[in-house]
Amino acid sequence: MSPIDRRMFYHVNWRLVGVLGALFAIGVLNLYSASGVRMGDGVQVENFYQKQMIWGAIGVLGMAAFMTFDYRRLNALAWPMYAVTMVLLLAVPFVGKTVMGARRWLDFGVFSVQPSELAKFAVLLLGARLLSESNERLTAKELGSVLGLGALPALLIIKQPDLGSGMLVLLLLTGLVLYRGIVPWLFRTLCVLVPSVLPLFWFVLKDYQKRRILAFLDPATDPLGSGYHILQSEIAVGSGRLFGKGFLAGTQSQLRFLPEKHTDFAVAVFGEEWGFFGMIVILGLFCAYLYQIAVVARDAKDPYGSYLAAGVFFYFFWQILINMGMVMGLMPVVGVPLPFVSYGGSATIVNFCLVGLVLNISMRRYLFKQT
Amino acid sequence: MKNLLSASTQAMPRFGPALLQFLVLALFVLFAVRLWYLQIHLGPVFTEKSRNNQLRVEYIFAPRGFLRDRNGELLAVNEPAFALGLVREDCEDIPATLAEVSRLSGIPLDKLTEVYNRNKPKVKSFEPLVLVPDMTYDTIAKVEGAVVRWPGLEIISRTRRKYNYGHLLSHVLGYVAEANEAEMQADPTLSLGDYVGKQGLEKTLDGLLRGAKGKRLIEVDVTGRRLSEELQAEPRAGQEVFLSIDLSLQQLGHKLLEGKSGAVVVLDPDSGEVHALVSEPSYDSNMFTNGLSNAQWAELRDDPLHPLQNRAMQSVYPPGSVFKLVMAGAGLHYDAVDPSETVTCSGELPLGNHVFHCWKRKGHGTVNLERALVESCDVYFYRLGMKLGVDRMSEFAKAAGFGSPTGIDLPHEKSGLIASREWKLKRFGVRWTRGEDLNMSIGQGYTVVSPLQVARYIGAILNGGKLVKPLLIKGQRPQITGRVPLTPAQAELIKNDMVQTVEDPRGTCHRIITPGVTVGAKTGSAQVMRLTEEMHRMGEGVPFKYRDHAWMAGFAERGGKRYVIVAMMEHGMHGAAAGPIVKAMINALFMGQRELPPKDLEGGERPANGPAPIDTVEPQFPEAPTGETPAASSDQEQPQQEADQQ
Repeated sequence: MSPIDRRMFYHVNWRLVGVLGALFAIGVLNLYSASGVRMGDGVQVENFYQKQMIWGAIGVLGMAAFMTFDYRRLNALAWPMYAVTMVLLLAVPFVGKTVMGARRWLDFGVFSVQPSELAKFAVLLLGARLLSESNERLTAKELGSVLGLGALPALLIIKQPDLGSGMLVLLLLTGLVLYRGIVPWLFRTLCVLVPSVLPLFWFVLKDYQKRRILAFLDPATDPLGSGYHILQSEIAVGSGRLFGKGFLAGTQSQLRFLPEKHTDFAVAVFGEEWGFFGMIVILGLFCAYLYQIAVVARDAKDPYGSYLAAGVFFYFFWQILINMGMVMGLMPVVGVPLPFVSYGGSATIVNFCLVGLVLNISMRRYLFKQT
Repeated sequence: MKNLLSASTQAMPRFGPALLQFLVLALFVLFAVRLWYLQIHLGPVFTEKSRNNQLRVEYIFAPRGFLRDRNGELLAVNEPAFALGLVREDCEDIPATLAEVSRLSGIPLDKLTEVYNRNKPKVKSFEPLVLVPDMTYDTIAKVEGAVVRWPGLEIISRTRRKYNYGHLLSHVLGYVAEANEAEMQADPTLSLGDYVGKQGLEKTLDGLLRGAKGKRLIEVDVTGRRLSEELQAEPRAGQEVFLSIDLSLQQLGHKLLEGKSGAVVVLDPDSGEVHALVSEPSYDSNMFTNGLSNAQWAELRDDPLHPLQNRAMQSVYPPGSVFKLVMAGAGLHYDAVDPSETVTCSGELPLGNHVFHCWKRKGHGTVNLERALVESCDVYFYRLGMKLGVDRMSEFAKAAGFGSPTGIDLPHEKSGLIASREWKLKRFGVRWTRGEDLNMSIGQGYTVVSPLQVARYIGAILNGGKLVKPLLIKGQRPQITGRVPLTPAQAELIKNDMVQTVEDPRGTCHRIITPGVTVGAKTGSAQVMRLTEEMHRMGEGVPFKYRDHAWMAGFAERGGKRYVIVAMMEHGMHGAAAGPIVKAMINALFMGQRELPPKDLEGGERPANGPAPIDTVEPQFPEAPTGETPAASSDQEQPQQEADQQ
């Protein structure tokens, strides 16, 4: 069986591709407005939307590339990938590049790599491999070993410090574990234990992280500091009301009251300009997008493919939950971008590639029927 | 194939797919509800907050309306002033900057620090805090050079109220000063540094003069940069007001009273317009516009001569014989007097075991109403007082406008007092005595009136009984606030008697006779305290503060023009002392003589040609019912300066 079958083209999940296209189009349109700044005379637009389109184009190529091979071959890559990631993560504290107070990057001369991005992929592959071996509920021992494997890179990333990525690695793995299921007694115990232990992590948080959480709990305590982001974001979204202030007419964004408006808070710009109506549309698209991935996971031809798709589901699910939750004042400020809406080169390419992986799983489920 | 499929599905996750679909649904519901809450439920709140972020309101000052006299002479204007402000945000070292400002302006550092600390909470950090409200040109020159070296210092130009005749009109115009906390609370359109009228017409006409500030909406970005401006409301300049006051008369009045304490009122009896309202000593309105120092304020407030008081309407005095005009009216109204009926004045009138004297110890002989007024015979009015009784005297006096404010557009007007049986019982717990009827009949006792009230009553005699509201603004419609119950014939009779008082060679006001002008008047000496026999003999030697107040209430008319003129001089001794003032006013009004009158008419000096009969000493007060000195006693209505002298 050749890796590329002509018939596969007819089995591409066009619904997922359609939803993705709509989301990305809205994202670029919104970036155009979000990067606009009102000066004395008229609006000045920075070229983020153009760059984002270029990243998107590269992303589509990556997506196509991820459809070409049989995803089952990734199974063999799981352990080597994990090993490489760990080596790189361990190297970061010693040879990493310091950007804005955090050591996150490894400089390879021609290009730089964030090992934390790699770690997400490695954990996705390894998690899918380990968990797809059986469909029995996980016992305490199994759970311990799986989470332990995930916690190693996660802790290294949090140390960098990059709380957002570290948490995402752990959450992704947690999602996969829940996808498989845990033995009932353990599940119940964890339901009690986790919420009671979590507050203890307060003591290992950095000062700025503590301030962000305090500001989240009560933005009014620090309206010009950490609370400012939340407050201004809520004002932007809230003042959009039913139909919004109109495209390019958001005062919170155009007059720069909204911080990080083309990256983490991009969707707040959308909420301000398109209102409740627009937000429901974009929320609906995200849910349709997640639903399509969930369907692929359900209908995959083998457990490995199902777990891989579920991993991608959680990868997106957590980002959407954290980012939109933050914008709406439901979550503390954590630097997690919103897929396809926030500006970002590597994130956009990775997102497209992961969609390619899901499409790969989706179209190959029909191949068995032929053989 | 079937086997293959079933084999692969067996190992498939059992719960996962359902979990994923549930998560999608939960995500949608959670966010949709939150969005509804933020955008629909709290939408208006956040819209308001977003507007507050984006918009700043700036006020555009409206120039305060000018004040002019009836001939258009400018009395109050606005002139540019330069203040020195400090923008805290831009200032690097505030204590050092304050020290530099102190060096440049000569203001002590501790005073500047106090101003700074007091205003700090009220001024935003990016707005200038005014340290020196009004700089001299010398200081401006020095500061201009320093502003470059001291970031944060800023010269602010604004307008300041300027009174061209600060001393002459301070009691009428009052003054403006920066609004205080309470005024800003009461009027939301006021903000820090705005001027408001605090006294006089500036206060009563404040709404008219102030105009309305303009409003400008400014759109700013997060750095505060101005992006656009929108004029929401044009500033509306304050209205210019023409006063009824004639500046030259006012000036004359002040000159005549110079160095003395007293008041002059010139009133048009028909329109109610006030042509002069003089009170001496006075103060300079300009002192207040730039903020008075505590020492200056204390000096003004504690001055024993009370320069802040407007003696024409904020001070009340016993009317003395001027009250006989009211008595004549009451007698005619109640039909207690037949103008031709005569009374014999032997110089005294016994009542019980007390003897009431006429000011003329020898007596006036046979007098009718006219003679009694012309020569100011006390005995005639004692008898009239006995006949009328306190109730009727009181009723008529109140109807004549005494005991109630005239309603002039100036703050803190005093009502004066007309006593009654009920009042005395309530006030002292003692019944009214018949002796007090007699005292009241010659304007002593408890009765106190303001010069303006006297002018209003004289006006009513001229205009047929109408009590007009004294108007300070030119061209207002006359307002009649009451009627004196006199028939035109009765009013005419009193008027003619007043004219006789001037024209009769023995009349008490003969000195003010003016050829070609019909002049009528009545003098009065108001007892400050009961003089002993010894003091009487001292004559001019009586200590100043025990001397009687001198009144002259009169009018002058010629060719359709007529004016009421009332002059009151504190401690002027004899009613005639006020005469020269009235005379000079008549000359100014009808003869065009606006300079100072000749020397021989000045002050208390007697005219060279012949001794005119004048009331020297008014009758003494009988036993005080409570043992208190009656003329003033502890009456709350008594003006401050009188109380001081008790």
